Amino acid sequence: MTDVAATEIDREAARPTSRAAVRPPRGPDRDRIGPVVTYVVLSLAAFLSVFPFFWMVVGTTNTSFDIVRGKSWFGDQLLVNIRNLAEQVDLPRVLFNSFYIAIISTVATLLVSSLAGYAFEIFRHKWRERIFAALLLMLSIPFAALMVPLFVMMAGAGLINTYAAIILPTVANIFVIFYFRQATKAFPHELRDAAKIDGLKEWQIFLRVYMPVMRSTYAAATIIVFTLTWNNYLWPLIVLQTNDMKTMVLTISSLNSAYTPDFGVIMVATVITTLPTLVIFFLLQRLFVQGMLGSVK
Amino acid sequence: MTTVFRRSLFASTAVGLLAGPALAQELTVWAWDPNFNGAAMEAAAAAYQEAGHPDFVLDYQEFAREEIEQKLQTQLAAGTMDGLPDIVLIEDYSAQKFLLSFPGAFQPLTDVIDYSGFADYKVALATVDGETYSMPFDSGVTGLFYRSDLIEQAGFTAEDMQDLTWDRFIEIGEAVTEATGTPMISLDIDDPGLFVVMLQSTGSWFFNEDGSLNIEGNEDFRAALADYQQILQSDMWKPVNSWAEYQASLAGDVASTVTGVWITGTIKAAEMPGQWAVAPIPRVEEAANGTNYSNLGGSSWYVLNSSDDKELVYDFLNTVWGSDVDFYQDILVGQGAVGSLLAAREGDAYQTSDDYFGGQPVWQDFSSWLGQVPAVDYGIFTYEVRSAIASNLPALADGGDLDEAIGNIAAEAAVLTQ
Repeated sequence: MTDVAATEIDREAARPTSRAAVRPPRGPDRDRIGPVVTYVVLSLAAFLSVFPFFWMVVGTTNTSFDIVRGKSWFGDQLLVNIRNLAEQVDLPRVLFNSFYIAIISTVATLLVSSLAGYAFEIFRHKWRERIFAALLLMLSIPFAALMVPLFVMMAGAGLINTYAAIILPTVANIFVIFYFRQATKAFPHELRDAAKIDGLKEWQIFLRVYMPVMRSTYAAATIIVFTLTWNNYLWPLIVLQTNDMKTMVLTISSLNSAYTPDFGVIMVATVITTLPTLVIFFLLQRLFVQGMLGSVK
Repeated sequence: MTTVFRRSLFASTAVGLLAGPALAQELTVWAWDPNFNGAAMEAAAAAYQEAGHPDFVLDYQEFAREEIEQKLQTQLAAGTMDGLPDIVLIEDYSAQKFLLSFPGAFQPLTDVIDYSGFADYKVALATVDGETYSMPFDSGVTGLFYRSDLIEQAGFTAEDMQDLTWDRFIEIGEAVTEATGTPMISLDIDDPGLFVVMLQSTGSWFFNEDGSLNIEGNEDFRAALADYQQILQSDMWKPVNSWAEYQASLAGDVASTVTGVWITGTIKAAEMPGQWAVAPIPRVEEAANGTNYSNLGGSSWYVLNSSDDKELVYDFLNTVWGSDVDFYQDILVGQGAVGSLLAAREGDAYQTSDDYFGGQPVWQDFSSWLGQVPAVDYGIFTYEVRSAIASNLPALADGGDLDEAIGNIAAEAAVLTQ
């Protein structure tokens, strides 16, 4: 979303300059000051939004002491920090846990929730709107209130300290169902009718027609769900009991809990944790923007 | 892994096949800070193995302090003990909250451990209705750490730093700040830690015995807060915004700090050998029972009632934590951890003097102060009252009326502790 806004502002900002190049200036310096102010404001905004990332990356190269003292340029401690992190944390295992949970959750959530969203929009049932309203109401229940009953359920099922205990509660994601239902409103019903005439069954329509057509919606949902599950903290904390099941986010939290936290190590862990969500975002960026605009081609 | 292990253990017990002794030699422990608590527990496990239990296995699981509290709270509220550890570390300020909120969840150890060998105040804080529940671990016995070179530069001697009152400390502090240009202390105005230290040194706390608030009308509280307001209004302190910034300030930005013994490692990390010394903290003069001893932080081990091999837990705790003086030397040298077992001070490591502190026998000093820390009941709502205090400190720093501030603190605390 930010990127859409940024591109549009950029375009507007660029326009006066190009015009200025073609046309002689009318008022004294009028067209020159405008863009300067725009660029100054934009640069400032860009700096403010990029600075935390910059500082995080700079932090990976400095000692904990320098970071606390506010040193904001690159140092030579990167390898030391990486080595310390690798010594303190079983990185391959923790990364595997994070990826495993995030990927399985994302695939399962998209599948189940998009099926639900599709069904809510396409099929008519006298209870449809009431059930949907009830679902939306449930969105307002804070997770803290669900935590204890959920724990009792998981303990009853013997799932404490398993991947399933983290993945299962995310699969039916009400927000994603809502999101798919809204997006499905723009799905041309003629396509479904045509597919039916061609003899496709409902599940074939969903797989072969709906899914390809809605790919930008899926892309947007992928980013949202992956980020949510990747960054999920509270529930995994409660339900995971051992170090070998921990995710990256939980690991950063324990690193931070030392009486004398090593911020260099924490910064390295933070960068590693941020990278996957960034990569996914950039890979799916174009589709994400379309998905957010709700356009279906 | 543990869960699988435990489940198989339950299952085998259920069908009447008692688990073999080899299996039963494992204990699961939850704690935070692998370099401090974790390392101390690992050292204890090694000591236990050497003491004739070569099959003993420690299963150490790392969680942040708040995380352990959150996990315990959720799980105990859910009423399921599935996957809980045998031993868990709980911060002393939170102990009463857990013991009172979840009766039956923790195992009383009164008949298991001989508490007469431990610092009184550590035992008192884990005692409910005559039953004590903890194996006391690290102490937060406080000291006044000061830069001997800067103090000297301002014309004071080590003797001037002994047996201080806060009034005198502020006098010295302002003189040092003026003479050297280095502020006497650094303070995070959002963290009332120093005030909490001052209050405990008077033997008083936020609560009465029945758990009701003891703020308005508490003369000790008023006296300590009056001294604290004087500090806030003096020119001798440098503001810091976080714990990390506070720690960093000890490396040359301030001439002293009053805090728990666990800061020693941080002070030594600043690599200023011979420039530091330690004295007992200043006293709240107006308090009836004001002492120069107090405590900040510290934590203790608790045994979960769900532990399936309590005999092993008891033997492990008693053999190592309850009596092994050599083990306490190891964790003092290795982790800088000052335990609460009073006999530990007879060991070699406690006897040595430290060149970093100008040859002062700092560990002997700390361990003799340890036995004199006034015992108080931290109650259930220590952190709630702390936040009520913190929100009124800026007003005090601006010269606000003391009694009005106490009234506000009491009112806010009453809401927060309802």
